[in-house]
Order: sequence, then C-alpha cells, then structure tokens
Amino acid sequence: MKYLVGVLAIAVSAQVLAEPVLVEGGQYVPVVVLDKELEQLTMPNFMLDAAPVTHAEYQTFVLAHPKWRRDTIPAIFHDGHYLKSWQTADSHAVDDADKAVTQVSWFAARAYCKAQGGRLPSLEEWEYASAQYRQQQGLTDHEYARMLFSWHTNPTTYAQLPLDPVAGKLNHMHDRVNEWVEDFQLLLTNGDDNDVLSGSCGDSARFMADFGEASYATFFRYQSRSNYRAQSTTSTLGFRCAYDVE
Amino acid sequence: MKKLVLSAIASALVVACAGAPQSGSAGLTLKHDSEYVIDGKIYGLPEAKVYREDYNGPAVVGDYLTMAPNLAKLDYEGNKEHEVRMDVFSQKVEVAPGVSYNAWTFGGSVPGPVLHVREGDRVVFKMKNRSDEEVVITEPLKGQAPYLSQIQASELQKHEAVIAPMPHSMDFHSGTVAAEDKWRTIAPGETIEFEWIANYAGTYMYHCGTSSVLMHTAMGQYGAVVVSPKEGYPTDAEVDQEYVIVQSEMYLSQMGDSYIYDHGAALARDPSHVVFNGHVSSLSENPLRADEGDRVRIHFLNAGPSGTSSFHVIGAIFDQVWVEGDPRNTWYGMQTVLLGASSSATIEFIVPEEGIYKLVDHEFADAERGAAGALIAGPRKAK
Repeated sequence: MKYLVGVLAIAVSAQVLAEPVLVEGGQYVPVVVLDKELEQLTMPNFMLDAAPVTHAEYQTFVLAHPKWRRDTIPAIFHDGHYLKSWQTADSHAVDDADKAVTQVSWFAARAYCKAQGGRLPSLEEWEYASAQYRQQQGLTDHEYARMLFSWHTNPTTYAQLPLDPVAGKLNHMHDRVNEWVEDFQLLLTNGDDNDVLSGSCGDSARFMADFGEASYATFFRYQSRSNYRAQSTTSTLGFRCAYDVE
Repeated sequence: MKKLVLSAIASALVVACAGAPQSGSAGLTLKHDSEYVIDGKIYGLPEAKVYREDYNGPAVVGDYLTMAPNLAKLDYEGNKEHEVRMDVFSQKVEVAPGVSYNAWTFGGSVPGPVLHVREGDRVVFKMKNRSDEEVVITEPLKGQAPYLSQIQASELQKHEAVIAPMPHSMDFHSGTVAAEDKWRTIAPGETIEFEWIANYAGTYMYHCGTSSVLMHTAMGQYGAVVVSPKEGYPTDAEVDQEYVIVQSEMYLSQMGDSYIYDHGAALARDPSHVVFNGHVSSLSENPLRADEGDRVRIHFLNAGPSGTSSFHVIGAIFDQVWVEGDPRNTWYGMQTVLLGASSSATIEFIVPEEGIYKLVDHEFADAERGAAGALIAGPRKAK
C-alpha cells in the first residue's frame, strides 16, 4: 500500500472497483537486463487499471465502436479467433461478464484503451507495477514463481475465474490472464546491439539480473509473450490499460 | 555464380546416379533450386512457410510414426519423401501412479512420436500450434499415424485434452538447416511447414526450441527420430527385435490436487521422476519382449533435459554399440553406455537365457526415481 493510492474507488460494483489506480513512480531495476550494465530506471507516476478489462466492459466498447465487432473487424487486425467465445458479435457468453476478456488481439486491445483515453502499458510499466503488486501481496520469490509456473501449467483454469477486485489497489496481475503490453515484441538487446541469439534457445543468462526462480518466472512471461503476433488472440491473453498522469 | 554452376553439376551427377539406381538405393533427388550436394548430402533447403489453416484432422499423420518402444518398418527400397504432421498442443498425462500434469506435447503424448526414416530421405514437415484448442487424441480419426492408434490402445498415460496457449517451435537434431528459419517459434493458431533431409544416420532428439528450452523440454516436448543407415548396420540380418527407448527427467511438484512444473528443481537438476518412454511404469506394464538367443537392438535416446544416463541391461553385455547410431562409430563389449543430454546410442545384445532382464539407468538415483523397465525373454525358438 505504501506506493499505491487508490482513486475513485467509492462504489462497490466490479466496474468501479476496477477503476484505474495511481502507480507512484520511483526507482526500478528491471529483471530483464537489456544493457551491458544493470540498469536503474526512474519510472514516472502513471495510472493503471486496477484489474484486467472484463467481457462486460469490452462489450460496452464493441457496442459503441461497431468496427471492433468480430463480424466487422478487418482481417489484418486478428488471427481469425477474435472474440470467438462470444455468444454473438456484440454479446459475450452469459457467464462471462465478470471474467477477464480474452481472444483480443493487440490491435483491438490498443483500440479499447485509446477509446478510454488511455493506452496499453509499456513492458516496463507493467513489470514495475507487478513488482509493487508482489510487495502488496506479500509474496515471497518462491511463492511468486510457483504462482506463475502454476499459471503456465494450467492457464485456462485461472483465466476462467471471475475477477474479484478490491477497491483502490492493483488486482489480478498474476492469477487470471497474461496481459498485452504496448512493446510486447521488444527485441532483446545488449546496449545498442540487437542480440543475435535473442534469448531464443536456453541462453537467457545474459539477460537476467539474477538466476533466482522468481526472475526466471518474470523472464518467461516476457519471453513467451514476445513470440505472439499483434494479430494473436488466445483464450488466456487479456489486457488492462494505462493512463498518463497530467 | 560459382555456387550455381557447382550446384548444377552436382544436380546433373545426382540425376545421372538416380537414373541408374544401385540395388536398394534410389539415389538422392534435388527438389528445389536452392539445394546443393556436398559429400552425398543435400543442403540449402528452401525457407520455412508460416501460415494459418483450418485443420481439425488427426494431430499426427505419417506412416512411419509410432509410439515408443515401437519402431515402424521401412517397407520401401532406397529413399523416400515423407509427409509428416506433428501438431503441438497440451494434454494432461500421467507419468507415475497418481501423478499427472498438463504437458506440452508434440502429438499429444510424452515423449512425442518416434519417426523412422532412412539416411537420405526427405521429410516435409508440418506442425500447427493448436495449444489454444482442446485436441482429443483418444478417439480414432481417419488418416491418423500408427502412433495415435498405439496410444489409443495403451491408455497408460490416461490422456485428457487441456488448453494451454503458448508459442512453440520444433528443432529436429536430425536436420541440418538454418535454425532461425526452420526452428522458428510460431504463435497459437499458426502452422509452420519446412523440409529437412536425413543426411546422417543415427538416432536423434527433437524438441521445442522456444525459450525457456529447459521448461519447454521438461514440460514434455521431445522425441526421437531414428535414421537407419543407407547401407544398414552390419547385423541387420541377425536382429530379431528392434525397440526405441527415450529417457527423460520430470520436474514436478504438488500444488493442491495437481502437479506443476518446478523450475527451481529443474535448475537444481533435482528431478521428481526419471522415466523411460514417459512413465515410470512404461516398460514394466508393457515390458519389451524377446526370446532366448535373440539379438535385440535398442535405439536409446537420453532426452534430458539436463541429466546423463548410464544405460545398462542386467544380465547382458552390449555386443555392439553404435554411438549416436552412426554405423561408423562401433564400440564392442560394453556393460553400460553413458549418454549426455540429447545423445543416443544404438545398442545390441544377445538374450542369454529365458528370463526377466531389468533395464536401468545405472545412475541409481535415476533408477530409483523411475528409470527402470524390463525385457521378458521366452524360451529359445528354432530359427
């Protein structure tokens, strides 16, 4: 709670509970090392949705922006499975209102956030918020790693759980869906040079700040998401939006 | 230009050879303009294609794909072009009594199918990433590989379809190609198609090469390709039984009622299970069979991902061993064969008497965690 200040969390509906929260800026050492030396980043304040976007919220967006219906979305913006689980082109499945929306491409996620006056978070913003969320949850490194590897072993079970956000703080960063970030295909770099091996084959050590299982869990989230396309939609990949602070 | 001319000459020579086939050899055939020959081996295969397709057919297609320990018979002369399909998707599998986990698989089982080809054969390989689908492999589908029929008959791993979307790739150690092209990662819903030539005889690992390779491999993404030598092994006529064993480590820990991958244990090389052919009971529930006096050949692959294997048959001595399965690498009279991760050997022994022969990883910390099985030998039969 030290870093997080809840805003607008007055009513108790799920939608309001998931209102954006302020992520207070500060110093941050990324787990994934993209430079020749360990980098300390100074993160500015920003707002982040308290929880992933739900089917109900996404349905409101689709009704207001019919070009993002699954029967009108341009083919170049998805892989053929966009909103496949929905009952119709403008209504989600009956039981899904409070679950994280999935089967949404990066293009669609960006359009949604833009329509809310926001944007997708950057990788560093998301990971910075995730680090604060770990503190807020009181997760040890081992518990955090187990949580993430458990998610990877059975992502569908987690993705199907309804959201249960608590007002005024970040929720469900690790236990529902993997989430799009703006620069999800960020290349692995070593200073100014693109790394020729790109961490593609068990050669991740150069990119790790340390070799603990928690860092591997974080790196694995980063690396596996890098291999999606902007058109990709899966049943376990959702998103939340970020907002600049004036 | 020089390369082009040499390539053209090589092609002409190859075509000339193919026009006058030697007995048992149809010769090499160049198929694409980019291909060339060095020392009788074909290189320079065309770029992989990645695309999206609607596909609901069998997850494994090809006549020479079997479930270990079975090996398909090569019922053709010379070389052949194989159309092979091995889709990648998740499946809940049992690896020990009461211990199941959601594996990432090639073709639905752990290990994946055994592909049998002959040195010089061409493989046209296709793989769809169906990890965002429930792929059922326990119901027979028209056109499925023998691998799926054998799984349906076995039921040892108690397969259940599960969904776990994840980018994956395929790295065939039996292929000689630019890895960043052919072994590239594909996202859920995508299909990759590429060709490779079985340039070298031997038993080779294949696995997912997507980071973390340690995790993808430990989750179940590996199998064996057996490339039989063009001219055979010197003992071909005397072999009575031929089998395939794939050894691997599992790194699982209990979480609630289920088991999950334990990356800490994988980094520490502290497996929960070490298995032959994917289950601690594979070769005790379904032991290998032979008769007294038989010559038994085993293509043994240690898939790792990180451990070594010291394979030993209790009561037998390996008469001949071909390291990596290459007939030029002959060793004799071995009690144990030590294999590093992704190494193999083709092993032969004479079954000395009727009885039960234990197969073990003689690193007994591994045997105690499951790396054990049996060959049951019947009475000697007249030949």
